[in-house]
Amino acid sequence: MAVDSKTVFDRPVTLRDVVTHYCPGCTHGVIHRMVSEVLDELGLRERTCGVAPVGCSVLCYNYFDTDFMEAPHGRAPALATGFKRMRPDMIVFTYQGDGDLASIGMGEIIHAANRGEKFTTIFVNNAVYGMTGGQMAPTTLPGQITTTCPMGRDTSLTGEPIRIAELLSALATPGYIERVAVHTPAHILKAKKAIRKAFTLQRDNKCYTLVEVLSTCPTNWGNTPGEAIEWLDENMMKYFPLGCYKDYVEPEGS
Amino acid sequence: MAKVLMKGNEAIAEAALRAGAEGYFCYPITPQTEVAEYLSKRMPEVGGMFLQGESELAVANMLFGAASTGKRVFTTSSSPGISLMQEAISYMAGAELPAVIINIMRGGPGLGGILPAQADYFQAVKGGGHGDYRTLVLAPSTVQEAVDLTMLCFHLAQKYRNPVMMIGDGMIGQMMEAVEFPESYEEPPLPSTDEWAATGALDRKARIIKSLFLDPVGLENNVLILEKKYQQMIREEVRCESYKISAENKILIVAYGTMARICQTAIDELEADGVSVGLFRPISLYPFPEKEILREATRKNIKSVLTIEMSMAQMMEDVERAIQGRRPVHFFGRSGGIVPTPEEVKEQVLKVLSIKRRTAKKK
Amino acid sequence: MISLVKQHRLPTFSKSILIIVGGYGSGKSEVAVNLSRQLVNAGSAQVAIADLDIVNPYFRSREASEQLTSLGIRTINPTGGQHYADLPIILPEVKGAIEQRQGVLVLDVGGDDVGARVLSSLSGSFEEGAYEMLLVLNGNRPFTADLDGCLKMINDIESSSRLKFTGIVSNTHLLEETTAQIALDGLELARQVSRRSDLPVAFLSGLKEIIECDEFDNVDVPILPLERLLLKPWESSAGDE
Ligand SMILES: Cc1ncc(C[n+]2csc(CCOP(=O)(O)OP(=O)(O)O)c2C)c(N)n1
Ligand code: SF4
Ligand SMILES: [Mg+2]
Repeated sequence: MAVDSKTVFDRPVTLRDVVTHYCPGCTHGVIHRMVSEVLDELGLRERTCGVAPVGCSVLCYNYFDTDFMEAPHGRAPALATGFKRMRPDMIVFTYQGDGDLASIGMGEIIHAANRGEKFTTIFVNNAVYGMTGGQMAPTTLPGQITTTCPMGRDTSLTGEPIRIAELLSALATPGYIERVAVHTPAHILKAKKAIRKAFTLQRDNKCYTLVEVLSTCPTNWGNTPGEAIEWLDENMMKYFPLGCYKDYVEPEGS
Repeated sequence: MAKVLMKGNEAIAEAALRAGAEGYFCYPITPQTEVAEYLSKRMPEVGGMFLQGESELAVANMLFGAASTGKRVFTTSSSPGISLMQEAISYMAGAELPAVIINIMRGGPGLGGILPAQADYFQAVKGGGHGDYRTLVLAPSTVQEAVDLTMLCFHLAQKYRNPVMMIGDGMIGQMMEAVEFPESYEEPPLPSTDEWAATGALDRKARIIKSLFLDPVGLENNVLILEKKYQQMIREEVRCESYKISAENKILIVAYGTMARICQTAIDELEADGVSVGLFRPISLYPFPEKEILREATRKNIKSVLTIEMSMAQMMEDVERAIQGRRPVHFFGRSGGIVPTPEEVKEQVLKVLSIKRRTAKKK
Repeated sequence: MISLVKQHRLPTFSKSILIIVGGYGSGKSEVAVNLSRQLVNAGSAQVAIADLDIVNPYFRSREASEQLTSLGIRTINPTGGQHYADLPIILPEVKGAIEQRQGVLVLDVGGDDVGARVLSSLSGSFEEGAYEMLLVLNGNRPFTADLDGCLKMINDIESSSRLKFTGIVSNTHLLEETTAQIALDGLELARQVSRRSDLPVAFLSGLKEIIECDEFDNVDVPILPLERLLLKPWESSAGDE
C-alpha cells in the first residue's frame, strides 16, 4: 500500500469516509487520522484488529476500517491480550481514554504492559471523563474544575493526577512508552513518528508499546477550540511533560 | 484408550484439550486450581496457549478477546471468581461469541468456604450479568460425565456462538474417578468461523465484534436474534436422565450433580426397604427439562415431588414452574459446603410420604 | 477379618517415622490411614498420624480422624474452621512429634513434588536413618503410568522435599473398577521402578476384597489390605457389605 505520507489531505484508506461524532476542536479525530495513516504506511490494515474503549471514542470502530472489538469499560488491554495471544501474527491496538485506562482499567493496563503483551496502546489523555459529561478523571489537574470537583480538584482529598507514561515506565518489561501532543502541526508530526514507531516495534514482534497523547476536550473544559489548545499548552504540558519515557533496546546477544 | 484415574479438575482440563481447546486463561481459586496446574504443563505440550491473568475480571475479558479470533478458548474458576466474570459473559453473549466457562462451585455467599455447593444455580441459569441473555448450562454428576460434557460445551459454544457454562460442585472437581477419553473426537458439522471471526479485513469488509447498539431498534433486534437462539436451545439441547422411575414410584426426587448421586444411594436403600422412589436428574440446567419433569411428575402414582439441592431452593423454582402446581413440590437442601448424606435424604423422603399419608387421612 | 495364614504377610517397620508420599491420587491418604490402623492392630503402643496435605482441599486423611481417634490413634490436624481451610497450615505439634519420636508417627503428605515441598521446611527435624519415606505408586494415574514417569516423580519429590525415599508402595488401582490383574500389573511396574531406583518394594496395597484373593498367594512382598475410610458422600461405609 503505497500511500505518500506527504499528501496529508488525502484520507488514509484505514480511515472510513464518514463524519465522526466528535465535538468541534476535539483532537480524538486527529489521533484517529494519525493511527490510520501509520497503518496505511506500514501496510498493516488487513491484518489489524483494534479494541475500542468505553468513552467518547467508543464508536471508533465505525471510523477505522479494520476489524474491531468493543470492550467493556477499562478492559481493552485484557481483550487485546486474549486476541494477540491467539493470533500473534496479527496487529492489535487498544484505543483508550484516561478514565478507561487510568481509572477503571488500571489493573488491566499495568498487567498487560508488565507481561510485555505485544500490542500497542493509544492512550488519549484529556484530563476528564468526556463521554459522561466532564467528571473528574485520575488525570484531572490540581485545581481543575469538573462536574464532580466543582471547586477545582483538591489534591488533599483526591491525590495528585496520575502520570501514566511515567508510572508504566517504572516497570521493567514494557519496551516503548512516549508522551506526545497534537495541538500544533509540529507536535502532530512528532506524535505521528511515535505512533509509527510503536506499530513498527509491534510489527517486528519486539515489545509492548504505548503512546500517550495529550488531547483536548473543549466541550467539557468549557472552552472554545482555540482556548482549549491554549489551556492544554499552558497547563497539561507542564504537568505531563512530553518525551520518550522508555525506549526500546535490543536485548543483548540478539 | 484404557481407563485412567483422574481428579475431576484434571479430567476437565484434558477433555478440553481433546475437544480442540487452543487457549486457556485462568486465575487460581480453590477448588478448581488443578485445572490450571494441569494445563500449565499440558498446554505447551500440545502447542496451545496458557495464560494466568491478574484477576478473573481480566481473565474473562481475555477470553472475550481470544474468542473473537474464532478459536476454541475457555476458562475455569470457582464461585467468587465467576462473579467477577459476569461482565465479560454478558458482553460475549451480546457480541455472540463462543466461549466455555466452567464453575467448580464452592459455598457462598461472599468468600464463603471451599467445600462443595450448588449455590450458584441462579447466577448460572438466570444470567449473572446484565441484560437480556442466557448461557447454556450443563451439570455433570460423575467425572466421566464432566469429561463428556466439557467436550460438548465446546461444540455447543460454537454451534450457538454463545457462552456455555458447565457447573459442578467442588466434589466434581476434587474427586478421583476412573475415566476414559474417546479415541478420536468427532462432532457434527459446525458453521465456519470465517463468517464472523476477526481475522483481518483482507479481501472482505472490516468486521466489528460488539454488543453496543445505541439505536433501541437495533438493540432489540440483537436481543431478538439472541432470543431465537435460546428458543433453538430449548428445542434441541434439553438433556436429562432418570433413575428407577417406574409406575410404583410414590415420590419423584429431582436433583442434579453430586446431589443426584447421593439420592441414588438413598433410593437404592429405600427400595430395599420397600419404598419406591424415582430420580429425575436434569443435565442441562438451561434449557431446563421442563416438559420432561412434568411428564414424570404427573405419573399416576406420584403424589409429590421432592427437590434436593446443595443450596437453598434455587432449582426448586424451576421445578415448580415446570410442574405448574399439578403436584406439591417439597424441598430439602443443605448449604455452606455441607453435603446431605443418603440417610438425610431417606429421612426426607419418609417425612414427605408421612405428610402425604396424614393429609390423605384427614380428607 | 484377615485370615491367620495371610496375617504374617502384613508389612512391619523398624523405623519410628513413616512418611507417606506420592503423586496426586496415588492413594496416599488411604494407605496412611490404613497403615496407622494396622500398626495399632499389630500392637504398636503409640501411633500418631499427621495430615500434612496442604495441596488438596478435600479427601484428606483428616476426614477419617474421628474413626482413627476412636481406635486410640493420635491425630494431628488443624481443628475448628481451619480443618476445612485451603491454607497451608503446618501445626507446631508436627515438628514436636517428629523430634520426640515416641511410638510411631505416620505423616500423610500432599501429592506430587508440590505437596511434598512441605517436608522441606521440616527436613531439619528428621534424623538420618530414623525414617522411612515411602513412594505410593498408582500406575493408573497419567503422570506415573510408566517407568519414566515414576522415576521423574521420585526425582521431583526428592528434590522438593530434600529427603530421600527408602521404599515403594505398589498401590495401583482404579477405585471400584480395580481388578486383581490391575493390581498385579501395578506390582510389575513397581518392580521395574525398584530395579532402576534401587528402592525396595516395601509392600503391595489394595482393596481388601481384591488383594486377599488367591491370585496374590505367591506375591513375595508384604501386603496391606485396605478398607476404604475416605468415602465419597454417596458411598456407604463398609458396614452394609
Ligand atoms: C462499568 C462502567 N462504569 C461506568 C460507565 C460509564 N462511562 C462511560 S465512559 C466513562 C468515562 C470515559 O472517560 P475517558 O476514558 O476519559 O474517555 P473520554 O470520554 O474522555 O475520551 C464512564 C465512566 C460504563 N460504561 N461502564
Ligand atoms: S466530549 Fe470532549 S472528548 Fe468527547 S468528543 Fe467532545 S470534545 Fe471530544
Ligand atoms: Mg478522558
